[in-house]
Amino acid sequence: MHGLELKGVSKSFGNTRAVEPTDLKFAKGELTALLGPSGCGKTTLLRMIAGLEDPSVGSILLEGQNITALPAHKRKFGMVFQNFALFPHYSVRENVAYSLTIGGVDKRTALDEANNLLETVQLGGFGDRRIGELSGGQRQRVAIARALAQEPEVFLLDEPMSALDAKLREEMQVELRLLQQKLGITTIVVTHDQREAMTMADQIVVMSNGRVEQIAKPQVIYHQPANAFVADFIGKANFFDGVCKDGGVLVGENFLQTASNFRTESPVRIAIRPERAFIDFDPGANRVAAKVMFVRDLGPMREYHLQSDIGPIIVEHAAGETNPELRNGDATTVRLPPDALQVFPRYEAA
Amino acid sequence: MTVANDISLPDRVQSANKTSTFPAKSVLLGFLTSAIVVFCVFPFLLVLAISFGRKVDGAAWVWDFTLENYQRFFVGVLWPQEVTFLYLQQLYYSFYFAVIASLLAVVTALPFTLALTRLSRRAQAIWLVFILSSLSLSEVFIVMGWDILLSNNSGLPKLFKETGLTAWLKEVGWFQTLRDWGLANPRNVKFKTSDFATILTMSYLVWPYAVILLYPALSRLDPSLGEAARTMGASRWTVTRTVTLPSIRLPLMGTTLLLFVFLLGTYVSITVFAAPNKHTTAVAIYANIRGANLNAPFGATQAIILLISASVCLYLGHLLNRRAEGR
Repeated sequence: MHGLELKGVSKSFGNTRAVEPTDLKFAKGELTALLGPSGCGKTTLLRMIAGLEDPSVGSILLEGQNITALPAHKRKFGMVFQNFALFPHYSVRENVAYSLTIGGVDKRTALDEANNLLETVQLGGFGDRRIGELSGGQRQRVAIARALAQEPEVFLLDEPMSALDAKLREEMQVELRLLQQKLGITTIVVTHDQREAMTMADQIVVMSNGRVEQIAKPQVIYHQPANAFVADFIGKANFFDGVCKDGGVLVGENFLQTASNFRTESPVRIAIRPERAFIDFDPGANRVAAKVMFVRDLGPMREYHLQSDIGPIIVEHAAGETNPELRNGDATTVRLPPDALQVFPRYEAA
Repeated sequence: MTVANDISLPDRVQSANKTSTFPAKSVLLGFLTSAIVVFCVFPFLLVLAISFGRKVDGAAWVWDFTLENYQRFFVGVLWPQEVTFLYLQQLYYSFYFAVIASLLAVVTALPFTLALTRLSRRAQAIWLVFILSSLSLSEVFIVMGWDILLSNNSGLPKLFKETGLTAWLKEVGWFQTLRDWGLANPRNVKFKTSDFATILTMSYLVWPYAVILLYPALSRLDPSLGEAARTMGASRWTVTRTVTLPSIRLPLMGTTLLLFVFLLGTYVSITVFAAPNKHTTAVAIYANIRGANLNAPFGATQAIILLISASVCLYLGHLLNRRAEGR
């Protein structure tokens, strides 16, 4: 049984279509990440789920009940905003207790409950502080505690980590995921950070230009991207344009064996992850001559930037592997295993 | 080698700048200080000094140091034979009209300004220019307009009668209610003279100021605060009560106090629309200084008491705000 379901939901602002008709299912107790570049419509979709925007078309169902016309204050989905939207005129404890006090809960009970929630987000003892006295990470925890106070059926987070520094962001991603698993709330996180989505989500919805490009589990999104956009947006990839021929793809003068089923002469785009390409001396198909342009040592891995006959290629070797001793300007060959090449149709601009 | 030669070039430039800007700055500062003293402090001190002066029967007034004027203000001219509160009553009406009119202006300007901040930038600019331009209208011009609008022979009362609205009000029984409120005579509705017309005109006078003063605070108000409250179960009214109003408490209070102090001195609206027994201290001050009474010392006393009363109100407002902030 699906917790939350969108059926043909779309949103237009004047003549601009922000979200194309979308069908989505959010499984109960799972964390879904809406992932995409800025302006792709993911926040608009989240706001429609929260009831802060009305869909132009389509319906939103919660446990089979149509809640499309239900206003935001009656849905009571907990939401964490990008800027946290904490009330500066209330203390930390009063912020967390807000939904309870306006809901008619006795003030003392509400404040006790707020204290418990602050303990849950490791902010016990911060209840009397003003919002202005908290750091970015602490504010985010308060925003999470405040959204969870009303025990929402759906928990929504709009770019919750964007205001945090890189280190804190990584820590909070893990903390938030652990908290979500502990509470078992259906959660939807909007993010443009693919690493954040991969870390936290059970399911990722990749969006572009108001359209859903792919819905799948993180590993599937990474290893089996639905199209070139997803392959490009999630992680790194090398791309080559070519034409299908004799069961493979002709890229310039080089023939690459692939597992594609496209018609001969179809224009295609090939993608290969940097860690799936090799600089080695193993015999095999799809060897391309290349010249080392730049070597980048990143600690856990080493990155080789090469210029080949079919275009620039980046190859990654994990630390501890037998890395080829190459320097800038050295000539070598790169092996592109056929099973690692992903082939997508290429749409030429008219 | 002379001393001047020992000074390096940058030092000489600095010292040259010092000698050229120092007197200019001092002159400017001295001029501004003198202007403030001459045009602000001195007139106030003069009024304060005159308030202790003495009216000479059949003539003007003479310098003196008597508290008779202050005594007269609080217990009346016939004291100790009789105690009258005429002047305190005038002060009460000053506060009565100013408080209600400033509150009415702020209460009506607040939703308007909130809606204004949600319009496009272009629409906001057009509205603000329109509102700012309305500030160029003088009180006399505005009161004249309202005078015509509310007059019994050519304004709204005539419209009520001609359109049959008066007859309808009589039919449904609401006409008697209007009579009870002093807004109708036996034949038709009448708005002059009435508290209603006075307060309406005074509110109208300061309404653009209310919008202009509230606009910066409301345009800075983060809309996500209200949205966050809504996702937590707050209705629109609850959002207004628990989020919007507390967020703008300071500018709201400041605006109300400013309009209130401004309205304490309203003269034309009161003389045209208020009943004579409800005339304010401002009207009485004019009557004493320039009008029929020609009692400048007592007029000055009333002006000083009005000023002190306004200052007390401002201080109380400040205390109230401090207390709310502490909470």
